[in-house]
Amino acid sequence: MASRGVSLKAKGKSSKGSKGLEDRSLSESVKEWSTWAMKKAKVITHYGFIPFVIIIGMNSEPKPQLSQLLSPV
Amino acid sequence: MAQAPPTDTKLDEKVDYFNLPCPIPFEELHREAIISLKPELFEGMRFDFTKMLNQKFSLNHSVSMGPTEIPSQSTETIKIPTANYEFGATFIDHPKLMLLGRILTDGRLNARVKYEVSENLTLKANAQLTNEPHMSQGMVNFDYKGKDYRSQFQLGNGALLGASYIQSVTRNLSLGAEVFWAGQHRKSGVGYAARYNTDKWVATAQVASTGMVLASYVQKVSEKVSLATELLCNYLSRDVTASFGYDYILRQCRLRGKIDSNGCCAAFLEERLNMGLNFILSAELDHKKKDYKFGFGLTVGE
Repeated sequence: MASRGVSLKAKGKSSKGSKGLEDRSLSESVKEWSTWAMKKAKVITHYGFIPFVIIIGMNSEPKPQLSQLLSPV
Repeated sequence: MAQAPPTDTKLDEKVDYFNLPCPIPFEELHREAIISLKPELFEGMRFDFTKMLNQKFSLNHSVSMGPTEIPSQSTETIKIPTANYEFGATFIDHPKLMLLGRILTDGRLNARVKYEVSENLTLKANAQLTNEPHMSQGMVNFDYKGKDYRSQFQLGNGALLGASYIQSVTRNLSLGAEVFWAGQHRKSGVGYAARYNTDKWVATAQVASTGMVLASYVQKVSEKVSLATELLCNYLSRDVTASFGYDYILRQCRLRGKIDSNGCCAAFLEERLNMGLNFILSAELDHKKKDYKFGFGLTVGE
């Protein structure tokens, strides 16, 4: 749980930083946008990668049953 | 004497420089030596279970318990007891696509993707993600395989850039080079490598501007036995390590062992009890540090 709190704090900081975006130069805004995109991509991969592999696997031929996926043995 | 005729015919053949074999990837240059000298040693207990849902898709469950070393300044090793459960999903559509995901109970995710874009171009991605900031790592590789060469371009987080190239020079000899630039640490380097392989033995050498010099020699005594030696030195920190190892592949088991000049010996036994049931024993004795590691494990399904 402690690590969750840390990641939330980091997100809060990045949203504060994007407020004064207009008066900054183009290169800085590109930099900020790419860090924001990378952060989001990281979170998406972190939570979505294994479900994605399971979805692809479940749709491969021959299709496994859902009960096979959920049963432990 | 039975083996003499094929070697003779090989000598008679002229080297056809336009028809050389494709070398092995630069990062796998020391493949044979690593297999013999660096088995996956562990401490404590582990249980791995692989459930195949169909030919391509499988789920993995893995439990490990035992002491884990934590890095510390003092010379004595400090260990804390840990227990971990790992869940994984693997999808392999050989050779087009490979997806591999592993997640640990503490939230660490290990993701690997390998995708063959075309016959020659392969895309590889690798990521270790955690909830802690600045601890996650990601890397993307583009591998291009030519007729008698391979090249790779590497892109990683922290502004890491790398490229490598390896070329077959004769039928047995291949030469390679690499460059890398780590923008975050303001470091760069170059490295060179050579590899000579025949059916009976493999010799490799690698030098890098980080100070690393690595030489290895693997002799395949027979189909089942191979012996490996390795010399690793760092001329910047003046560290030298020599190690010797063996790898026996028997009908029911595989036994690997090594001893090195730091007073560390290790053995790793994989015993096949039944179809899809393996028993693993691992031992590592570091006499200098008085650090002894023993482990046992069971692998079900594969």
